[in-house]
Amino acid sequence: MFRRTRRLALISALAATAVILSACSGTAEPAATSTGEPDADATLTVGLVLEPTNLDIRHTSGAAIEQILIDNIYEGLVTRTQENEIEGRLASDYEVSADGLTYTFTLNDGIAFHDGTALTSADVVSSYETVRTDATVQGNAEFASVASITAPDATTVEIVLSKPDQNFLFSLTGPAGLVFKTGDTTDLKTAENGTGPFTLTRWNKGSTITFARNDAYWGEPTGVAGVEFQYIPDFTAGVNAALAGDVQVLTAVDPNLAPQLEDSGDFTLTKGRTTDKATLAFNNAKAPLDDVRVREALRLAIDHDALVEAVGAGTPLYGPIPELDPGYEDLSDVISYDPEKAKELLAEAGQEDLELSLKIPSFYGTTVPKLLISDFNKVGVTLDVDSVEFPTWLEDVYTNHDYDLSFVLHVEPRDFGNFANPDYYFGYDNAEVQDLYTQAQSEVDPDKSAELLAKAARIVSEDHAADWLYNGETITAVSPLVSGFPKDSINSRINLAGVTVAAE
Amino acid sequence: MSSVVIFLTLRVFPGDVAQLIAGTQASPSEVEALRESLGLNRPLITQYTDWIGGIVRGDLGTSLLSGASVGEELFLKAQVTVPLGIMALLIAVLIAVPFGILAALLRGRRGGTALSVGAQALAAVPVVWAGMMLIVVFSVWLGWLPPQGFPRTGWSTPGKAIEALLLPALTIGIVEGAMLMRFVRSATLQAAGQDFVRTAAAKGLTRTRALILHGIPAVGLSIITVLGLQVAGIIVGSVVIEQLFTLPGIGRMLVADVGTRDLIKVQSELLVLTGFVLVIGFLVDLLHRTIDPRQRESA
Repeated sequence: MFRRTRRLALISALAATAVILSACSGTAEPAATSTGEPDADATLTVGLVLEPTNLDIRHTSGAAIEQILIDNIYEGLVTRTQENEIEGRLASDYEVSADGLTYTFTLNDGIAFHDGTALTSADVVSSYETVRTDATVQGNAEFASVASITAPDATTVEIVLSKPDQNFLFSLTGPAGLVFKTGDTTDLKTAENGTGPFTLTRWNKGSTITFARNDAYWGEPTGVAGVEFQYIPDFTAGVNAALAGDVQVLTAVDPNLAPQLEDSGDFTLTKGRTTDKATLAFNNAKAPLDDVRVREALRLAIDHDALVEAVGAGTPLYGPIPELDPGYEDLSDVISYDPEKAKELLAEAGQEDLELSLKIPSFYGTTVPKLLISDFNKVGVTLDVDSVEFPTWLEDVYTNHDYDLSFVLHVEPRDFGNFANPDYYFGYDNAEVQDLYTQAQSEVDPDKSAELLAKAARIVSEDHAADWLYNGETITAVSPLVSGFPKDSINSRINLAGVTVAAE
Repeated sequence: MSSVVIFLTLRVFPGDVAQLIAGTQASPSEVEALRESLGLNRPLITQYTDWIGGIVRGDLGTSLLSGASVGEELFLKAQVTVPLGIMALLIAVLIAVPFGILAALLRGRRGGTALSVGAQALAAVPVVWAGMMLIVVFSVWLGWLPPQGFPRTGWSTPGKAIEALLLPALTIGIVEGAMLMRFVRSATLQAAGQDFVRTAAAKGLTRTRALILHGIPAVGLSIITVLGLQVAGIIVGSVVIEQLFTLPGIGRMLVADVGTRDLIKVQSELLVLTGFVLVIGFLVDLLHRTIDPRQRESA
């Protein structure tokens, strides 16, 4: 049996941060702390790019919603740190039985919904029962192995799985794990009734979302009195807003525009890690990409270093698992940049005059497709780029698997399972990988599970099931007045509880 | 009729909102459940009658994505697009009428030819290009006006709001104005040849005065007709211009909604815009009757 308390998890997260900071010293400095004292009445202004289409986090997928709502407005039993480590949230304490089947959570004291109602274990049970039984709710598939959810008493929740599932606890850190009031009638698309340290004040569609400090919060009160998220879809307009002093923090800064902010002297730039995998998918189920020689040739033809350089915010990634996920391993030994060998492989496969099409959602721009066209051209492959709207991509590529090559940024953490699912749009069907993944899922010890994942990931990369063009980084510009703004993974989670703004 | 065309055209687009909501980690069964709950699996005819039934009762429906009322959102976005359209129209008229008349008066002389050629060239300029040039000149070089965006405070800071709309309005206004100017010029020339203008001139007025006092009121009517038609052009222009200047107006909302396949919203928005153009046409007709006594009598 292993047991982890909130404190322990916190310590391990801190230790991880320390290691990371020492490992990458010199690349990115943490935001400078202002000399001014934190102002408890201050409002933090944050510039974001993508506005949520609605606020119903139970039914709508998307980082734009999770990014601002989880941990700030809504809370789950557990949450994750910037480094994707799991820690308790509503639960002060949780235990997993030795067989990996029974999860026992103990709730913190004094938790209340924003309408004043106290949260009890019954609310957790009803929330999770909904996820388990309603297929329209986010995370329904992740609850497939849940056998029962019960509340032995008002502060304890017990979840029993039918088989061990290494991903289960992590899925509770996402929308599936959030706790809603039993029988709540709040219209979640535009309003909320969460338990978090902030409450939703106003949503001015197309422009801003504002939060205010929840004075009745059960935990530590927030460092700022309110937060205003400004949605600025245009990158240049975002930089202009920051330079004009409209926002104190600008997220997702375009790498090409970053120097403008840095030169102004009004902002410190941080580069944060993400689980964004820029995935060049090969249709493994369709000729000629069902031939591993063709897939390897395409990967050999790509100059990854030049690509990372051109993209401006990313690091090379040579396999399906990024650094922030369990099972990461440096797989740079698997592939190199070798156009000559690529040509040989293509000749061997009888594909000297190969023509392929690339389906790419239009919002990704032209940097990546242009480089791919020229790289592929050097080995005699003609690439025809088909830039489509995202819903068209979903229909053609994701649903109908009608494509040769595809490019999207897969941002979800721990999504390696897609390579163990032959029905996913990758069309990659390898029994050994599927077997290793199943083992990793049912392995109770997280370290052993990660080893199994690493082994599977190596096979996937050696099979050239796809190419991972780069692992995205996210650039954030932070005013020196602001302290404690998160750095990593902020495209999926911006936990603002510890952020302070100094008095000017 | 137009509602059927709008409804069916939108159904041709690949992809749907359920898939978009579910994202790239959802299983086909989850997407299907979502589709069912959104009512996307109902027969097309039911979806159409439900929608049009609501429209008849004055209910534009609710967005599939945000759950917000389409009518309310249209009203909100109209606060950017309608002032933009009015400003653009004003600028167009301010450019077209004086320069059009001037071009007519100077016909055959060097100045008149220059004006006509200039108008011809301006009218051929794509709106996007004109917009970018104006941004370069007024925002980048001169730094007088903001290049993009609309103040978050909206119309509670009217100065800033008008400042934000000035460049986009100028962009549409110049291009539309150039088109209108050619029309004003030819209408003025036509009036100059009319008997009553010549009579007025014979009674001792100079040719220019006769034209301005008697000729222009007569051609005013046809100019109003063309202006009515320009409204459709300005709506189309605003879709493009709102993208370029990142203005949170109806045009930008429409493009975003097509991108997310929020079809109920898109079809209601298109229907409202279509209705708006028809209403303008009707108003122009009414105006004709009020101004021109001959039309009243014949009717």
